[in-house]
Amino acid sequence: MNLEELKKLKEKAQRQVALREGNRKYRVVVSMGTSGIAAGAREVMKTMLDEIEKRGLDDVEVRVTGEVGLEDVEPVVRVEEAGGEKTTYARLDAEKAKKIVAEHLERGKKVDNLAVGKEKKPE
Amino acid sequence: MFEELSLHILDIAMNSLAAGARTAQITVAEHARRDRLTIRIQDDGCGMDEATLKRVLAAPVSTKRHRKKAIGLGLALLRQTAEMCGGEFHVRSAPGAGTTVTATMQLSHVDRPPLGDLNATILALCAANPAVDVQLHYLGDTERFHFSSLERAEKKVASRPNPFWSGEEKTNYEPGRTQKVERESAAAGCLA
Repeated sequence: MNLEELKKLKEKAQRQVALREGNRKYRVVVSMGTSGIAAGAREVMKTMLDEIEKRGLDDVEVRVTGEVGLEDVEPVVRVEEAGGEKTTYARLDAEKAKKIVAEHLERGKKVDNLAVGKEKKPE
Repeated sequence: MFEELSLHILDIAMNSLAAGARTAQITVAEHARRDRLTIRIQDDGCGMDEATLKRVLAAPVSTKRHRKKAIGLGLALLRQTAEMCGGEFHVRSAPGAGTTVTATMQLSHVDRPPLGDLNATILALCAANPAVDVQLHYLGDTERFHFSSLERAEKKVASRPNPFWSGEEKTNYEPGRTQKVERESAAAGCLA
């Protein structure tokens, strides 16, 4: 850990800010409450940010929220599409997070075996 | 229980963001000579009144939690870690005056968790709310720096020789003095 590394991270975070203001197709919300953090949400989020950057996806924004009430299946990530459709992925780790970026966020194909709950259709 | 102290920091600082803080200052001071590790998370959020503070500091509440009622657990976990590692735990807060959480530990304690990936913690906090100035003040024995996500207080302090080896007496780290010293040095930087 040193100042230079932190500065690079800051740039990464700032690109995220630019995304929030621009056009976006997907919003990824990571549950970062106490239970999420204990289960590894921080690493999941970091992996997703890295992977999104690596693949040059400029229409995805990543956000963080508190407890979402799914403490037993953390880490939990919700992917919201511009149309209003929401998919919740649970029991994630770095590998699964990469898969979600590659399949869902890049190709627009949901990863069914990682998703939990009922599909929420846009109203 | 968190495996890294940086996860504790993330957990506590997330509360700062939830409290509407504009600035969240994280101080990590490793003092090998005094065998002390001090972690402080200071925010200018809404703060807590006495009753709330008492409730939050009570023994860990039930783990059967509902949405938005993680109140108490994060602090209780940090307190447990601090006391387990021969240290102390304090929270200072008042409505409108922000909250300061301080945990000290014996640096060499066998149960002390490693600091872990502080970078990832800072990244998560920046992503959580980019409008908040997330500051990290790292005060090691040989290296010190100040990081600010909004560049208000960022600077690198020239590393000094380790007084432990040179025999030179070193100013003791005093909680509460950090900010003042920084402001002075920042002002000096402007003049230069």
